[in-house]
Amino acid sequence: MAHSERHEELVAAAALNIVDGADQAELARHLAEGCPTCEELLRDLRGAATALAAGVRPVTPAPHVRASILASLGPARIATARPVSTGVWRVFAAAAALLFVAVGLDDARLRRQGEDLRSQSAELAGRLQSAETALAERVLRARVLESDDVQMMRLGGKEPQPGARGRVFWSPKARRGILVASSLAALPADRQYELWVFLDGKPVNAGVFDADGSGGALFESTDFPEPGAQNFAVTIEPRGGLAAPTGPVVLVGSPT
Amino acid sequence: MARVEARDTDALAELYDRHSARLMGLARRVLGESGEAEEVLQEVFLFAWRAASSFDPARGNVLTWLLIATRSRAIDRVRSRKSASRPELRSLEDIGEGPASRDDVEAASAGRQWEQICRGAVGELPEDQRRALELAYFEGLTQQEIAERTGTPLGTVKTRVRLGLMKLRERLRPYLGSGSDGA
Repeated sequence: MAHSERHEELVAAAALNIVDGADQAELARHLAEGCPTCEELLRDLRGAATALAAGVRPVTPAPHVRASILASLGPARIATARPVSTGVWRVFAAAAALLFVAVGLDDARLRRQGEDLRSQSAELAGRLQSAETALAERVLRARVLESDDVQMMRLGGKEPQPGARGRVFWSPKARRGILVASSLAALPADRQYELWVFLDGKPVNAGVFDADGSGGALFESTDFPEPGAQNFAVTIEPRGGLAAPTGPVVLVGSPT
Repeated sequence: MARVEARDTDALAELYDRHSARLMGLARRVLGESGEAEEVLQEVFLFAWRAASSFDPARGNVLTWLLIATRSRAIDRVRSRKSASRPELRSLEDIGEGPASRDDVEAASAGRQWEQICRGAVGELPEDQRRALELAYFEGLTQQEIAERTGTPLGTVKTRVRLGLMKLRERLRPYLGSGSDGA
């Protein structure tokens, strides 16, 4: 993969989380094509940027902050879901992360222009969706040649996690799918999230995954039972998963 | 950190005692005198508690890891202040994000050394590069906004940010986990 000053420029801005929209798309494309040099550079420059914090005067927090933190330590969360098993996955994770950052920036800029966020959110969601879809398509195609049938479904949170969000990108032909989720709650160590594909109204196990430390998950299922998925759901199940769902539904799709 | 990962609350308390003033300083620098800095601090330590296993000592120094987490949360808040609603998309930001240095600088003396090197590296930057990096790092301004604020062409801002960060990387190279084997 060609490496240039232009890429350094994009990565430097990404390391500071200040990339503007058009550049973001270019960088996401570049990373999605696979560039270990830029991935390493991004990690390095994030670390290098913290040098700026070294000159900041330390401030001792009020005592109640410490007490409050220690009092609020919840149950264990073992963040094991970071999908780093293949190069493509790492690229996708990095690119997806950047993509999300970029959309956040776009979002902020729109607000700064004083426009009503709600009126913008549909457009923004559309842009995010198309960008994500393009990215997922690229990744799936990289993994599954000739996969030109990628579809997307949005998943919404249910009690007990109404704030959870997710999207599933899948290729019926290739029988593969990617779940991108956010705002998932911490689970006890003996529990995992399980993805279900609905076929003819029945849930079929599509694999288990963990959320990462910040509640996000990127999970690829190569377990899609057969073409014809109509809906998706995520439940909480005993670690390792079950053949049929028993736990609470956290995310569910809304097929049109 | 291994003890934090093993759910040792005393270990988290030690982590807090060692690093909270520096993290609070950064949160205050970004957010100003408000209760938000304290909220960020709480979020960061809860993140450290829950995500301890995502910290990779082979790649990093705990302080760098915590500073990255603090800065990104504080900047999110600065950006969301300008609106009633908050961006909800930050949760994936940490994926693929790792602290960058290889040496274990948990010991306080080593931490001070790291700090001195960082200060030296920042101090050696040309003024315009340092200014651009500070506006980005502490205020979260985009490159376009930095251009507007400083009355500088956008292309020049991009170059300053790139050159400045690359210089910091060069100076800190002995502490950074990669970059030795390039492409």
